[in-house]
Amino acid sequence: MNENRRRILDMLARGQISADEAERLFAALEKEPAPADSATSSDAPPKAKPKYLRVQVDEEKADSPRGPRKVNVRVPLQLLRAGVKLASVIPAQAREHVNDALHENGLGIDIGQIRPENLEEIIDQLDDVVIDVDKQNEKVKVRVFCE
Amino acid sequence: MIPFAADVSFRHRDRRAWNLWIPLAIVWLLLLPVVILLLPIFFIACIVGDVDPLRAIAALWRILNSLNDTEISVNKPEQSFSVHLY
Repeated sequence: MNENRRRILDMLARGQISADEAERLFAALEKEPAPADSATSSDAPPKAKPKYLRVQVDEEKADSPRGPRKVNVRVPLQLLRAGVKLASVIPAQAREHVNDALHENGLGIDIGQIRPENLEEIIDQLDDVVIDVDKQNEKVKVRVFCE
Repeated sequence: MIPFAADVSFRHRDRRAWNLWIPLAIVWLLLLPVVILLLPIFFIACIVGDVDPLRAIAALWRILNSLNDTEISVNKPEQSFSVHLY
């Protein structure tokens, strides 16, 4: 029994209010939302932890009568975490080759410095990324998001 | 958990579509003797390549475990292909 109900019953017992008045007060209490409920409803629902990384590619060619091409990949985020851990197993010599290849392609990333925490940060920030690529005759939309 | 089955489907506009259900559990069981036979070679290769073999096995096992529920599908107007591991 909550505090308000107890107070109404006390007032009724002491004869301060009649039975009819008590009934009306109870009815008013039922209509009023509970304070605890209102507090929780104002808060945003907790965000579910994403389990998958989804990559969707939609390609449309203006001069193609056949229609669009679509690629849809769903990868468990666990696989990415496992991949990051695999990077730490790569021997130093091979790591240098990979880093050189990345630098040649304009990616200044040292794979030896990638940690699982970095991946978590990326996942947290990766709500929904949409990349539009417009070429002469084709339009490619790449959508990357976690779900 | 490692994937126990794979669903592979291929559809072509002019040809018959086919769906293939692969019981990976049987594939793993068949591969097990081969893996055991290749294990010493793997260990030697790891030592030569300056890689901790136990860490390498752990990393590969983790990857195999996390493959579960992977889904890849490619849809073109004339054909489509999809793979689902579960």
